Amino acid sequence: MIEATISFMKQYKNNKLGLVGLGLLIFFVLIAVFAPYIAPYDPHQRFESTEHPSSEHPLGTNHVGQDILSELIYGTRVSLFITLFASIAAVSIGILIGLVAGYFKRFNFSLMRLTDLFLTIPKLPIIIIIAAFMRPSVWNLVFVFAIFEWAITARIIRSEVLTLRHRNYVDATRLFGAKDSYILARHIFPYVVPLVFVQLILVSRYIILAESGLSFIGLGDPTAKSWGMMLHDAFVYPTIFISDLWMWWMLPAGLCIVLLILSFMFIGYALEEIVNPSLKRSPWI
Amino acid sequence: MQTNIITKIVGYIIIIFIIISLNFFLPRMMPAGPLSGLTSSTQQVSEQYIMYIVDLMHGDLGWSTTKNAPVWDVLMRSIIWTLLLVGSSTAIYITLGILLGAVSAWKKGEKTDVGLLILFIAMAAFPPFFLGMLFIIYFGWRLDLFPRFGAQTLYIDYSTAFGTLLDILHHLFLPALTLTLTSIGVIYLLTRNSMLNVLDEEYIRTARAKGLGEWYIIRKHALKNAMLPIITLVALIAGLVITGTIFVETVFAYPGVGLLVSDAISAHDYPLLQGAFLFFAFAILAVNFTADRIYELLDPRVKEE
Repeated sequence: MIEATISFMKQYKNNKLGLVGLGLLIFFVLIAVFAPYIAPYDPHQRFESTEHPSSEHPLGTNHVGQDILSELIYGTRVSLFITLFASIAAVSIGILIGLVAGYFKRFNFSLMRLTDLFLTIPKLPIIIIIAAFMRPSVWNLVFVFAIFEWAITARIIRSEVLTLRHRNYVDATRLFGAKDSYILARHIFPYVVPLVFVQLILVSRYIILAESGLSFIGLGDPTAKSWGMMLHDAFVYPTIFISDLWMWWMLPAGLCIVLLILSFMFIGYALEEIVNPSLKRSPWI
Repeated sequence: MQTNIITKIVGYIIIIFIIISLNFFLPRMMPAGPLSGLTSSTQQVSEQYIMYIVDLMHGDLGWSTTKNAPVWDVLMRSIIWTLLLVGSSTAIYITLGILLGAVSAWKKGEKTDVGLLILFIAMAAFPPFFLGMLFIIYFGWRLDLFPRFGAQTLYIDYSTAFGTLLDILHHLFLPALTLTLTSIGVIYLLTRNSMLNVLDEEYIRTARAKGLGEWYIIRKHALKNAMLPIITLVALIAGLVITGTIFVETVFAYPGVGLLVSDAISAHDYPLLQGAFLFFAFAILAVNFTADRIYELLDPRVKEE
Protein backbone atom coordinates (compact mmCIF):
# COMPACT_ATOMS: atom_id res chain seq x y z
CA MET A 1 0.00 0.00 0.00
CA ILE A 2 2.81 2.41 0.92
CA GLU A 3 4.76 1.48 -2.18
CA ALA A 4 1.68 2.04 -4.30
CA THR A 5 1.20 5.46 -2.73
CA ILE A 6 4.81 6.44 -3.39
CA SER A 7 4.70 5.34 -7.04
CA PHE A 8 1.38 7.16 -7.38
CA MET A 9 2.93 10.37 -6.05
CA LYS A 10 5.88 10.00 -8.39
CA GLN A 11 3.57 9.65 -11.37
CA TYR A 12 1.48 12.58 -10.21
CA LYS A 13 4.57 14.76 -9.80
CA ASN A 14 5.30 14.45 -13.53
CA ASN A 15 1.92 15.85 -14.46
CA LYS A 16 2.20 19.63 -14.72
CA LEU A 17 -1.53 20.32 -15.04
CA GLY A 18 -2.17 18.08 -12.07
CA LEU A 19 0.35 20.00 -9.97
CA VAL A 20 -1.18 23.34 -10.92
CA GLY A 21 -4.62 22.04 -9.98
CA LEU A 22 -3.42 20.63 -6.68
CA GLY A 23 -1.59 23.88 -5.91
CA LEU A 24 -4.76 25.89 -6.51
CA LEU A 25 -6.83 23.58 -4.34
CA ILE A 26 -4.30 23.74 -1.49
CA PHE A 27 -4.27 27.53 -1.81
CA PHE A 28 -8.05 27.69 -1.41
CA VAL A 29 -8.04 25.18 1.45
CA LEU A 30 -5.43 27.25 3.31
CA ILE A 31 -7.49 30.40 2.83
CA ALA A 32 -10.58 28.60 4.08
CA VAL A 33 -8.81 27.20 7.16
CA PHE A 34 -7.08 30.43 8.13
CA ALA A 35 -9.90 32.76 7.10
CA PRO A 36 -10.16 34.49 10.51
CA TYR A 37 -6.44 35.34 10.44
CA ILE A 38 -6.32 36.50 6.81
CA ALA A 39 -9.56 38.46 6.55
CA PRO A 40 -9.17 42.13 7.50
CA TYR A 41 -12.64 42.30 9.11
CA ASP A 42 -15.46 40.16 10.39
CA PRO A 43 -17.64 39.53 7.31
CA HIS A 44 -20.75 40.66 9.22
CA GLN A 45 -19.28 43.97 10.39
CA ARG A 46 -20.89 46.97 8.68
CA PHE A 47 -19.34 50.10 7.19
CA GLU A 48 -20.54 52.64 4.65
CA SER A 49 -22.33 50.76 1.87
CA THR A 50 -21.02 50.31 -1.71
CA GLU A 51 -17.71 52.02 -1.07
CA HIS A 52 -15.09 51.92 -3.82
CA PRO A 53 -11.80 50.10 -3.18
CA SER A 54 -9.50 51.93 -0.80
CA SER A 55 -6.61 51.07 1.48
CA GLU A 56 -9.12 50.23 4.22
CA HIS A 57 -11.31 48.09 1.98
CA PRO A 58 -9.19 46.65 -0.87
CA LEU A 59 -12.31 45.38 -2.67
CA GLY A 60 -14.74 48.02 -1.39
CA THR A 61 -17.93 47.25 0.50
CA ASN A 62 -21.23 45.68 -0.56
CA HIS A 63 -24.83 46.89 -0.49
CA VAL A 64 -25.12 46.57 3.29
CA GLY A 65 -21.61 47.84 3.95
CA GLN A 66 -19.76 44.58 4.54
CA ASP A 67 -16.10 44.41 3.51
CA ILE A 68 -16.06 42.46 0.23
CA LEU A 69 -12.56 41.05 0.63
CA SER A 70 -13.47 39.58 4.01
CA GLU A 71 -16.68 38.23 2.52
CA LEU A 72 -14.69 36.61 -0.27
CA ILE A 73 -12.24 35.00 2.18
CA TYR A 74 -14.99 33.66 4.41
CA GLY A 75 -16.93 32.68 1.28
CA THR A 76 -14.05 30.33 0.40
CA ARG A 77 -14.86 28.53 3.63
CA VAL A 78 -18.54 28.12 2.81
CA SER A 79 -18.03 27.11 -0.83
CA LEU A 80 -15.27 24.63 -0.05
CA PHE A 81 -17.07 23.23 2.99
CA ILE A 82 -20.26 22.49 1.05
CA THR A 83 -18.34 21.10 -1.92
CA LEU A 84 -15.98 18.83 -0.02
CA PHE A 85 -18.46 17.65 2.61
CA ALA A 86 -21.19 16.94 0.09
CA SER A 87 -18.84 15.15 -2.30
CA ILE A 88 -17.33 13.04 0.49
CA ALA A 89 -20.82 12.11 1.68
CA ALA A 90 -22.06 11.37 -1.84
CA VAL A 91 -19.01 9.30 -2.77
CA SER A 92 -19.21 7.37 0.52
CA ILE A 93 -22.79 6.38 -0.21
CA GLY A 94 -21.67 5.45 -3.72
CA ILE A 95 -18.80 3.29 -2.41
CA LEU A 96 -21.06 1.47 0.03
CA ILE A 97 -23.73 0.71 -2.55
CA GLY A 98 -21.17 -0.14 -5.23
CA LEU A 99 -19.27 -2.55 -2.96
CA VAL A 100 -22.41 -4.31 -1.76
CA ALA A 101 -23.98 -4.51 -5.23
CA GLY A 102 -20.77 -5.78 -6.81
CA TYR A 103 -19.80 -8.26 -4.13
CA PHE A 104 -23.09 -9.76 -2.95
CA LYS A 105 -25.00 -11.21 -5.87
CA ARG A 106 -28.37 -11.14 -4.16
CA PHE A 107 -28.31 -7.35 -3.75
CA ASN A 108 -27.01 -6.69 -7.24
CA PHE A 109 -30.32 -6.42 -9.09
CA SER A 110 -32.24 -4.26 -6.62
CA LEU A 111 -29.34 -1.92 -5.86
CA MET A 112 -28.54 -1.46 -9.54
CA ARG A 113 -32.16 -0.64 -10.36
CA LEU A 114 -32.04 1.93 -7.57
CA THR A 115 -28.82 3.32 -9.05
CA ASP A 116 -30.38 3.48 -12.52
CA LEU A 117 -33.29 5.35 -11.00
CA PHE A 118 -31.03 7.95 -9.47
CA LEU A 119 -29.06 8.24 -12.72
CA THR A 120 -32.21 8.95 -14.76
CA ILE A 121 -33.86 11.24 -12.25
CA PRO A 122 -33.64 14.94 -13.29
CA LYS A 123 -31.26 15.88 -10.47
CA LEU A 124 -30.90 19.62 -10.62
CA PRO A 125 -34.63 20.48 -10.82
CA ILE A 126 -35.30 18.18 -7.87
CA ILE A 127 -32.41 19.64 -5.88
CA ILE A 128 -33.75 23.13 -6.62
CA ILE A 129 -37.32 22.35 -5.56
CA ILE A 130 -36.23 20.62 -2.34
CA ALA A 131 -33.82 23.44 -1.51
CA ALA A 132 -36.58 25.98 -2.17
CA PHE A 133 -38.92 24.33 0.32
CA MET A 134 -36.29 23.76 2.99
CA ARG A 135 -34.87 26.49 5.17
CA PRO A 136 -31.78 27.67 3.27
CA SER A 137 -28.79 26.43 5.21
CA VAL A 138 -25.35 25.03 4.50
CA TRP A 139 -26.22 21.63 6.01
CA ASN A 140 -29.40 21.31 3.99
CA LEU A 141 -27.45 21.91 0.78
CA VAL A 142 -24.86 19.28 1.79
CA PHE A 143 -27.70 16.86 2.51
CA VAL A 144 -29.50 17.34 -0.82
CA PHE A 145 -26.32 17.08 -2.87
CA ALA A 146 -25.23 13.92 -1.02
CA ILE A 147 -28.55 12.23 -1.69
CA PHE A 148 -28.55 12.95 -5.41
CA GLU A 149 -24.91 12.62 -6.42
CA TRP A 150 -23.90 9.09 -5.40
CA ALA A 151 -25.25 7.08 -8.33
CA ILE A 152 -22.38 7.36 -10.81
CA THR A 153 -19.85 6.43 -8.14
CA ALA A 154 -21.88 3.36 -7.18
CA ARG A 155 -21.95 2.29 -10.83
CA ILE A 156 -18.22 2.66 -11.31
CA ILE A 157 -17.23 1.01 -8.03
CA ARG A 158 -19.58 -1.90 -8.71
CA SER A 159 -18.12 -2.71 -12.12
CA GLU A 160 -14.63 -2.62 -10.64
CA VAL A 161 -15.67 -4.92 -7.78
CA LEU A 162 -17.21 -7.33 -10.30
CA THR A 163 -13.84 -7.81 -11.96
CA LEU A 164 -12.00 -8.07 -8.62
CA ARG A 165 -14.39 -10.52 -7.00
CA HIS A 166 -13.20 -13.57 -8.90
CA ARG A 167 -9.49 -12.90 -9.04
CA ASN A 168 -7.52 -15.96 -7.99
CA TYR A 169 -6.18 -14.49 -4.79
CA VAL A 170 -9.67 -13.48 -3.68
CA ASP A 171 -10.98 -16.99 -4.32
CA ALA A 172 -7.97 -18.38 -2.48
CA THR A 173 -8.60 -16.15 0.53
CA ARG A 174 -12.20 -17.28 0.55
CA LEU A 175 -11.14 -20.94 0.46
CA PHE A 176 -9.04 -20.30 3.54
CA GLY A 177 -12.25 -19.32 5.25
CA ALA A 178 -11.94 -15.55 5.23
CA LYS A 179 -15.13 -13.66 5.98
CA ASP A 180 -16.71 -11.44 3.36
CA SER A 181 -16.05 -8.37 5.47
CA TYR A 182 -12.34 -9.28 5.62
CA ILE A 183 -12.11 -9.83 1.88
CA LEU A 184 -13.93 -6.58 1.16
CA ALA A 185 -11.76 -4.55 3.49
CA ARG A 186 -8.44 -6.21 2.72
CA HIS A 187 -8.57 -7.32 -0.91
CA ILE A 188 -11.23 -5.30 -2.64
CA PHE A 189 -11.50 -1.86 -1.11
CA PRO A 190 -7.78 -0.97 -1.46
CA TYR A 191 -8.03 -1.55 -5.19
CA VAL A 192 -10.94 0.81 -5.69
CA VAL A 193 -9.28 3.64 -3.74
CA PRO A 194 -7.78 5.29 -6.85
CA LEU A 195 -11.22 5.28 -8.46
CA VAL A 196 -12.64 6.81 -5.30
CA PHE A 197 -10.28 9.76 -5.64
CA VAL A 198 -11.21 10.30 -9.27
CA GLN A 199 -14.89 10.24 -8.30
CA LEU A 200 -14.36 12.65 -5.40
CA ILE A 201 -12.85 15.17 -7.78
CA LEU A 202 -15.49 14.71 -10.48
CA VAL A 203 -18.35 15.00 -8.00
CA SER A 204 -16.74 18.02 -6.33
CA ARG A 205 -16.56 19.76 -9.66
CA TYR A 206 -20.23 19.17 -10.29
CA ILE A 207 -21.24 20.24 -6.78
CA ILE A 208 -19.36 23.55 -6.75
CA LEU A 209 -21.01 24.38 -10.08
CA ALA A 210 -24.46 23.42 -8.80
CA GLU A 211 -23.97 25.07 -5.42
CA SER A 212 -22.93 28.39 -6.92
CA GLY A 213 -25.85 28.18 -9.33
CA LEU A 214 -28.33 27.48 -6.53
CA SER A 215 -26.92 30.30 -4.43
CA PHE A 216 -27.03 32.58 -7.45
CA ILE A 217 -30.77 32.13 -7.91
CA GLY A 218 -31.26 32.84 -4.21
CA LEU A 219 -31.24 29.44 -2.53
CA GLY A 220 -28.00 29.89 -0.62
CA ASP A 221 -27.59 30.37 3.11
CA PRO A 222 -27.84 34.13 3.78
CA THR A 223 -26.04 33.76 7.12
CA ALA A 224 -23.01 31.96 5.63
CA LYS A 225 -22.43 33.48 2.22
CA SER A 226 -20.69 31.40 -0.42
CA TRP A 227 -19.16 32.84 -3.58
CA GLY A 228 -22.38 32.10 -5.47
CA MET A 229 -24.35 34.03 -2.84
CA MET A 230 -22.01 37.02 -3.29
CA LEU A 231 -22.72 36.92 -7.02
CA HIS A 232 -26.43 36.83 -6.20
CA ASP A 233 -26.14 39.93 -4.00
CA ALA A 234 -24.12 41.72 -6.66
CA PHE A 235 -26.45 40.72 -9.47
CA VAL A 236 -29.65 41.92 -7.79
CA TYR A 237 -28.05 45.26 -6.90
CA PRO A 238 -29.70 47.71 -9.33
CA THR A 239 -26.69 49.60 -10.68
CA ILE A 240 -24.15 46.78 -10.65
CA PHE A 241 -23.42 46.91 -14.39
CA ILE A 242 -23.78 50.61 -14.95
CA SER A 243 -21.27 51.61 -12.30
CA ASP A 244 -17.85 50.03 -11.85
CA LEU A 245 -19.07 48.01 -8.84
CA TRP A 246 -18.96 44.72 -10.75
CA MET A 247 -15.18 44.95 -11.04
CA TRP A 248 -14.54 44.37 -7.33
CA TRP A 249 -17.85 42.90 -6.24
CA MET A 250 -18.73 40.41 -8.96
CA LEU A 251 -15.50 39.60 -10.77
CA PRO A 252 -13.39 38.28 -7.82
CA ALA A 253 -16.12 35.91 -6.58
CA GLY A 254 -16.79 34.65 -10.10
CA LEU A 255 -13.11 34.11 -10.83
CA CYS A 256 -12.71 32.19 -7.57
CA ILE A 257 -15.43 29.78 -8.70
CA VAL A 258 -13.78 29.43 -12.12
CA LEU A 259 -10.36 28.78 -10.55
CA LEU A 260 -11.73 26.17 -8.15
CA ILE A 261 -13.50 24.37 -11.00
CA LEU A 262 -10.33 24.53 -13.11
CA SER A 263 -8.33 23.08 -10.24
CA PHE A 264 -10.78 20.16 -9.94
CA MET A 265 -10.61 19.66 -13.72
CA PHE A 266 -6.81 19.58 -13.76
CA ILE A 267 -6.56 17.22 -10.78
CA GLY A 268 -9.20 15.04 -12.40
CA TYR A 269 -7.29 14.77 -15.69
CA ALA A 270 -4.06 13.95 -13.87
CA LEU A 271 -5.70 11.27 -11.72
CA GLU A 272 -7.49 9.73 -14.66
CA GLU A 273 -4.27 9.43 -16.60
CA ILE A 274 -2.68 7.52 -13.74
CA VAL A 275 -5.69 5.36 -12.89
CA ASN A 276 -6.62 4.68 -16.49
CA PRO A 277 -3.34 4.32 -18.40
CA SER A 278 -5.20 3.52 -21.61
CA LEU A 279 -6.08 7.20 -21.68
CA LYS A 280 -2.38 8.09 -21.75
CA ARG A 281 -2.56 9.07 -25.35
CA SER A 282 -5.58 11.17 -24.60
CA PRO A 283 -5.79 14.82 -25.60
CA TRP A 284 -4.23 16.38 -22.52
CA ILE A 285 -1.03 17.78 -23.89
CA MET B 1 -34.47 -7.31 -24.83
CA GLN B 2 -38.13 -7.36 -23.87
CA THR B 3 -37.41 -7.38 -20.11
CA ASN B 4 -34.81 -4.68 -20.59
CA ILE B 5 -37.35 -2.31 -22.10
CA ILE B 6 -39.93 -3.20 -19.47
CA THR B 7 -37.55 -2.45 -16.57
CA LYS B 8 -36.69 0.83 -18.26
CA ILE B 9 -40.31 1.85 -18.67
CA VAL B 10 -41.10 0.83 -15.10
CA GLY B 11 -38.15 2.98 -14.05
CA TYR B 12 -39.56 5.99 -15.88
CA ILE B 13 -43.00 5.46 -14.34
CA ILE B 14 -41.46 5.33 -10.85
CA ILE B 15 -39.54 8.54 -11.53
CA ILE B 16 -42.66 10.33 -12.76
CA PHE B 17 -44.43 9.14 -9.62
CA ILE B 18 -41.57 10.43 -7.44
CA ILE B 19 -41.60 13.82 -9.19
CA ILE B 20 -45.35 14.26 -8.80
CA SER B 21 -45.30 13.09 -5.19
CA LEU B 22 -42.44 15.43 -4.30
CA ASN B 23 -44.46 18.24 -5.78
CA PHE B 24 -47.45 17.25 -3.67
CA PHE B 25 -45.75 16.52 -0.34
CA LEU B 26 -43.03 19.19 -0.19
CA PRO B 27 -45.40 22.10 0.54
CA ARG B 28 -47.22 19.93 3.08
CA MET B 29 -44.03 19.21 4.97
CA MET B 30 -43.36 22.87 5.57
CA PRO B 31 -44.18 24.30 8.99
CA ALA B 32 -47.42 26.25 9.02
CA GLY B 33 -46.76 29.65 7.56
CA PRO B 34 -48.05 31.89 4.85
CA LEU B 35 -48.61 28.78 2.77
CA SER B 36 -50.86 26.91 5.16
CA GLY B 37 -53.84 28.40 3.35
CA LEU B 38 -52.75 26.51 0.27
CA THR B 39 -52.67 23.15 1.93
CA SER B 40 -54.97 23.18 4.92
CA SER B 41 -58.10 21.32 4.14
CA THR B 42 -60.64 19.21 5.88
CA GLN B 43 -60.00 16.35 3.46
CA GLN B 44 -57.74 13.38 4.13
CA VAL B 45 -54.26 13.62 2.63
CA SER B 46 -55.01 10.64 0.39
CA GLU B 47 -58.10 12.39 -0.99
CA GLN B 48 -56.08 15.54 -1.54
CA TYR B 49 -53.45 13.51 -3.37
CA ILE B 50 -55.98 12.01 -5.74
CA MET B 51 -57.55 15.43 -6.30
CA TYR B 52 -54.10 16.81 -7.03
CA ILE B 53 -53.37 14.19 -9.67
CA VAL B 54 -56.78 14.69 -11.29
CA ASP B 55 -56.15 18.44 -11.39
CA LEU B 56 -52.73 17.82 -12.87
CA MET B 57 -54.23 15.73 -15.65
CA HIS B 58 -56.50 18.64 -16.47
CA GLY B 59 -53.57 21.03 -16.63
CA ASP B 60 -54.63 22.74 -13.41
CA LEU B 61 -51.38 23.64 -11.68
CA GLY B 62 -52.76 26.21 -9.29
CA TRP B 63 -52.71 29.98 -9.20
CA SER B 64 -49.54 32.04 -9.49
CA THR B 65 -49.66 34.69 -6.78
CA THR B 66 -47.15 37.04 -8.40
CA LYS B 67 -48.36 36.83 -11.99
CA ASN B 68 -51.99 36.70 -10.84
CA ALA B 69 -52.87 34.11 -13.44
CA PRO B 70 -53.18 30.33 -13.64
CA VAL B 71 -49.73 28.71 -13.49
CA TRP B 72 -50.53 26.75 -16.64
CA ASP B 73 -51.12 29.94 -18.66
CA VAL B 74 -47.96 31.55 -17.31
CA LEU B 75 -45.94 28.46 -18.27
CA MET B 76 -47.46 28.29 -21.73
CA ARG B 77 -46.48 31.89 -22.41
CA SER B 78 -42.87 31.21 -21.41
CA ILE B 79 -42.23 27.74 -22.81
CA ILE B 80 -41.78 28.97 -26.38
CA TRP B 81 -38.80 31.12 -25.38
CA THR B 82 -37.11 28.35 -23.43
CA LEU B 83 -37.60 25.95 -26.33
CA LEU B 84 -36.15 28.53 -28.72
CA LEU B 85 -33.13 29.05 -26.48
CA VAL B 86 -32.51 25.35 -25.82
CA GLY B 87 -33.18 24.38 -29.44
CA SER B 88 -30.89 26.95 -31.00
CA SER B 89 -28.01 26.37 -28.58
CA THR B 90 -28.33 22.59 -28.89
CA ALA B 91 -28.24 22.81 -32.67
CA ILE B 92 -25.19 25.08 -32.52
CA TYR B 93 -23.15 23.20 -29.94
CA ILE B 94 -23.75 19.83 -31.58
CA THR B 95 -22.76 20.94 -35.10
CA LEU B 96 -19.97 23.21 -33.96
CA GLY B 97 -18.69 20.76 -31.34
CA ILE B 98 -18.48 17.87 -33.79
CA LEU B 99 -17.07 20.03 -36.58
CA LEU B 100 -14.40 21.68 -34.46
CA GLY B 101 -13.60 18.37 -32.73
CA ALA B 102 -12.98 16.81 -36.13
CA VAL B 103 -10.88 19.78 -37.27
CA SER B 104 -8.89 19.61 -34.04
CA ALA B 105 -8.15 15.91 -34.43
CA TRP B 106 -7.16 16.43 -38.02
CA LYS B 107 -4.75 19.24 -37.11
CA LYS B 108 -3.51 17.61 -33.93
CA GLY B 109 -0.75 19.57 -32.23
CA GLU B 110 -1.05 22.54 -34.58
CA LYS B 111 -2.05 26.04 -33.48
CA THR B 112 -5.73 25.63 -34.36
CA ASP B 113 -5.96 22.48 -32.28
CA VAL B 114 -4.17 23.83 -29.21
CA GLY B 115 -6.10 27.11 -29.35
CA LEU B 116 -9.48 25.39 -29.56
CA LEU B 117 -8.51 22.97 -26.79
CA ILE B 118 -7.51 25.73 -24.38
CA LEU B 119 -10.56 27.85 -25.24
CA PHE B 120 -13.07 25.06 -24.67
CA ILE B 121 -11.44 23.73 -21.51
CA ALA B 122 -11.43 27.23 -20.06
CA MET B 123 -15.08 27.76 -21.04
CA ALA B 124 -16.08 24.50 -19.36
CA ALA B 125 -14.89 25.99 -16.05
CA PHE B 126 -17.22 29.00 -16.28
CA PRO B 127 -20.59 28.73 -14.56
CA PRO B 128 -23.17 29.83 -17.17
CA PHE B 129 -24.46 32.73 -15.07
CA PHE B 130 -20.97 34.17 -14.58
CA LEU B 131 -20.12 33.94 -18.28
CA GLY B 132 -23.49 35.53 -19.06
CA MET B 133 -22.81 38.44 -16.70
CA LEU B 134 -19.42 39.03 -18.34
CA PHE B 135 -21.09 39.04 -21.78
CA ILE B 136 -23.70 41.55 -20.62
CA ILE B 137 -20.99 43.82 -19.27
CA TYR B 138 -18.79 43.61 -22.34
CA PHE B 139 -21.11 43.15 -25.32
CA GLY B 140 -24.16 44.73 -23.72
CA TRP B 141 -22.84 47.77 -21.88
CA ARG B 142 -19.30 48.42 -23.11
CA LEU B 143 -19.76 47.78 -26.80
CA ASP B 144 -23.55 48.23 -26.79
CA LEU B 145 -23.83 45.60 -29.52
CA PHE B 146 -26.59 43.49 -28.05
CA PRO B 147 -29.71 44.07 -25.95
CA ARG B 148 -29.15 43.52 -22.25
CA PHE B 149 -32.45 41.89 -21.33
CA GLY B 150 -35.65 40.39 -22.68
CA ALA B 151 -36.50 38.44 -25.79
CA GLN B 152 -37.99 41.26 -27.86
CA THR B 153 -37.79 45.03 -27.91
CA LEU B 154 -40.79 46.32 -25.99
CA TYR B 155 -43.27 48.75 -27.49
CA ILE B 156 -41.81 48.55 -30.96
CA ASP B 157 -44.06 47.42 -33.73
CA TYR B 158 -42.06 46.06 -36.60
CA SER B 159 -43.98 46.34 -39.81
CA THR B 160 -42.30 43.34 -41.40
CA ALA B 161 -41.99 39.80 -40.16
CA PHE B 162 -38.32 39.96 -41.07
CA GLY B 163 -37.79 42.89 -38.72
CA THR B 164 -39.40 40.97 -35.86
CA LEU B 165 -37.28 37.92 -36.62
CA LEU B 166 -34.08 39.98 -36.61
CA ASP B 167 -35.07 41.54 -33.30
CA ILE B 168 -35.73 38.12 -31.76
CA LEU B 169 -32.40 36.75 -33.04
CA HIS B 170 -30.63 39.85 -31.78
CA HIS B 171 -31.99 39.19 -28.28
CA LEU B 172 -31.34 35.47 -28.54
CA PHE B 173 -27.68 35.78 -29.48
CA LEU B 174 -25.98 36.37 -26.11
CA PRO B 175 -28.03 33.86 -24.06
CA ALA B 176 -27.59 31.20 -26.75
CA LEU B 177 -23.86 31.95 -26.99
CA THR B 178 -23.50 31.57 -23.22
CA LEU B 179 -25.31 28.22 -23.18
CA THR B 180 -23.38 27.01 -26.22
CA LEU B 181 -19.96 27.92 -24.90
CA THR B 182 -20.52 26.40 -21.47
CA SER B 183 -21.75 23.09 -22.89
CA ILE B 184 -19.72 22.60 -26.08
CA GLY B 185 -16.52 21.41 -24.35
CA VAL B 186 -17.56 17.85 -23.60
CA ILE B 187 -18.81 17.09 -27.09
CA TYR B 188 -15.80 18.75 -28.71
CA LEU B 189 -13.38 16.73 -26.59
CA LEU B 190 -15.22 13.47 -27.17
CA THR B 191 -15.30 13.99 -30.94
CA ARG B 192 -11.64 14.94 -30.98
CA ASN B 193 -10.75 11.93 -28.86
CA SER B 194 -12.66 9.32 -30.80
CA MET B 195 -11.53 10.84 -34.10
CA LEU B 196 -7.90 10.57 -32.98
CA ASN B 197 -8.45 6.90 -32.20
CA VAL B 198 -10.24 6.23 -35.48
CA LEU B 199 -7.71 8.11 -37.62
CA ASP B 200 -5.04 5.57 -36.60
CA GLU B 201 -7.08 2.62 -37.84
CA GLU B 202 -6.07 0.49 -40.80
CA TYR B 203 -9.18 1.20 -42.83
CA ILE B 204 -8.49 4.92 -42.74
CA ARG B 205 -5.03 4.27 -44.10
CA THR B 206 -6.60 2.11 -46.80
CA ALA B 207 -9.03 4.88 -47.69
CA ARG B 208 -6.13 7.31 -47.93
CA ALA B 209 -4.20 4.88 -50.10
CA LYS B 210 -7.22 4.65 -52.39
CA GLY B 211 -6.79 8.37 -52.94
CA LEU B 212 -9.99 9.52 -51.26
CA GLY B 213 -10.06 13.15 -50.18
CA GLU B 214 -9.33 13.98 -46.53
CA TRP B 215 -12.72 15.57 -45.91
CA TYR B 216 -14.51 12.61 -47.48
CA ILE B 217 -12.59 10.22 -45.23
CA ILE B 218 -13.41 12.23 -42.14
CA ARG B 219 -17.07 12.47 -43.01
CA LYS B 220 -17.76 8.96 -44.28
CA HIS B 221 -15.30 6.81 -42.37
CA ALA B 222 -14.12 8.53 -39.23
CA LEU B 223 -17.10 10.60 -38.03
CA LYS B 224 -19.61 7.84 -38.69
CA ASN B 225 -17.85 5.53 -36.27
CA ALA B 226 -17.43 8.27 -33.70
CA MET B 227 -21.17 9.05 -33.67
CA LEU B 228 -22.48 6.52 -31.12
CA PRO B 229 -20.72 7.78 -28.01
CA ILE B 230 -21.55 11.32 -29.10
CA ILE B 231 -25.28 10.60 -29.07
CA THR B 232 -25.11 9.16 -25.56
CA LEU B 233 -23.37 12.29 -24.50
CA VAL B 234 -25.86 14.61 -26.17
CA ALA B 235 -28.57 13.24 -23.89
CA LEU B 236 -26.39 13.92 -20.88
CA ILE B 237 -25.55 17.45 -21.96
CA ALA B 238 -29.14 18.17 -23.01
CA GLY B 239 -30.11 17.79 -19.37
CA LEU B 240 -27.42 20.27 -18.39
CA VAL B 241 -28.45 22.71 -21.11
CA ILE B 242 -32.11 22.54 -20.13
CA THR B 243 -31.32 23.28 -16.47
CA GLY B 244 -28.70 25.78 -17.62
CA THR B 245 -31.53 27.94 -18.97
CA ILE B 246 -32.59 28.59 -15.35
CA PHE B 247 -29.34 30.50 -14.80
CA VAL B 248 -28.87 31.99 -18.26
CA GLU B 249 -32.45 33.26 -18.49
CA THR B 250 -32.09 34.79 -15.04
CA VAL B 251 -28.99 36.70 -16.07
CA PHE B 252 -30.43 37.95 -19.36
CA ALA B 253 -33.98 38.40 -18.00
CA TYR B 254 -34.99 36.17 -20.92
CA PRO B 255 -38.71 35.51 -20.41
CA GLY B 256 -38.63 31.68 -20.44
CA VAL B 257 -39.50 29.07 -17.83
CA GLY B 258 -36.01 29.37 -16.30
CA LEU B 259 -36.64 33.01 -15.43
CA LEU B 260 -39.94 31.96 -13.85
CA VAL B 261 -37.97 29.66 -11.52
CA SER B 262 -35.73 32.39 -10.12
CA ASP B 263 -38.59 34.94 -10.07
CA ALA B 264 -40.77 32.46 -8.17
CA ILE B 265 -37.97 31.75 -5.69
CA SER B 266 -37.31 35.39 -4.91
CA ALA B 267 -41.03 36.20 -4.64
CA HIS B 268 -41.93 32.96 -2.78
CA ASP B 269 -44.47 32.16 -5.47
CA TYR B 270 -44.51 28.42 -4.72
CA PRO B 271 -47.28 27.28 -7.09
CA LEU B 272 -45.38 28.86 -9.99
CA LEU B 273 -42.11 27.29 -8.84
CA GLN B 274 -43.78 23.88 -8.69
CA GLY B 275 -45.23 24.26 -12.16
CA ALA B 276 -41.84 25.26 -13.57
CA PHE B 277 -40.28 22.33 -11.71
CA LEU B 278 -42.67 19.91 -13.42
CA PHE B 279 -41.76 21.41 -16.79
CA PHE B 280 -38.02 21.01 -16.25
CA ALA B 281 -38.27 17.53 -14.77
CA PHE B 282 -40.45 16.21 -17.59
CA ALA B 283 -38.42 17.95 -20.29
CA ILE B 284 -35.24 16.23 -19.10
CA LEU B 285 -36.98 12.87 -18.79
CA ALA B 286 -38.34 13.21 -22.32
CA VAL B 287 -34.88 14.00 -23.69
CA ASN B 288 -33.31 11.05 -21.90
CA PHE B 289 -36.03 8.72 -23.11
CA THR B 290 -35.66 9.87 -26.72
CA ALA B 291 -31.88 9.55 -26.61
CA ASP B 292 -32.27 6.00 -25.27
CA ARG B 293 -34.53 5.07 -28.19
CA ILE B 294 -32.26 6.68 -30.80
CA TYR B 295 -29.28 4.88 -29.35
CA GLU B 296 -31.11 1.57 -29.65
CA LEU B 297 -32.01 2.31 -33.24
CA LEU B 298 -28.45 3.14 -34.19
CA ASP B 299 -26.63 0.46 -32.25
CA PRO B 300 -28.01 -3.00 -32.99
CA ARG B 301 -25.88 -4.46 -30.18
CA VAL B 302 -28.09 -2.85 -27.56
CA LYS B 303 -31.12 -4.69 -28.93
CA GLU B 304 -29.52 -8.11 -28.95
CA GLU B 305 -28.46 -8.01 -25.33
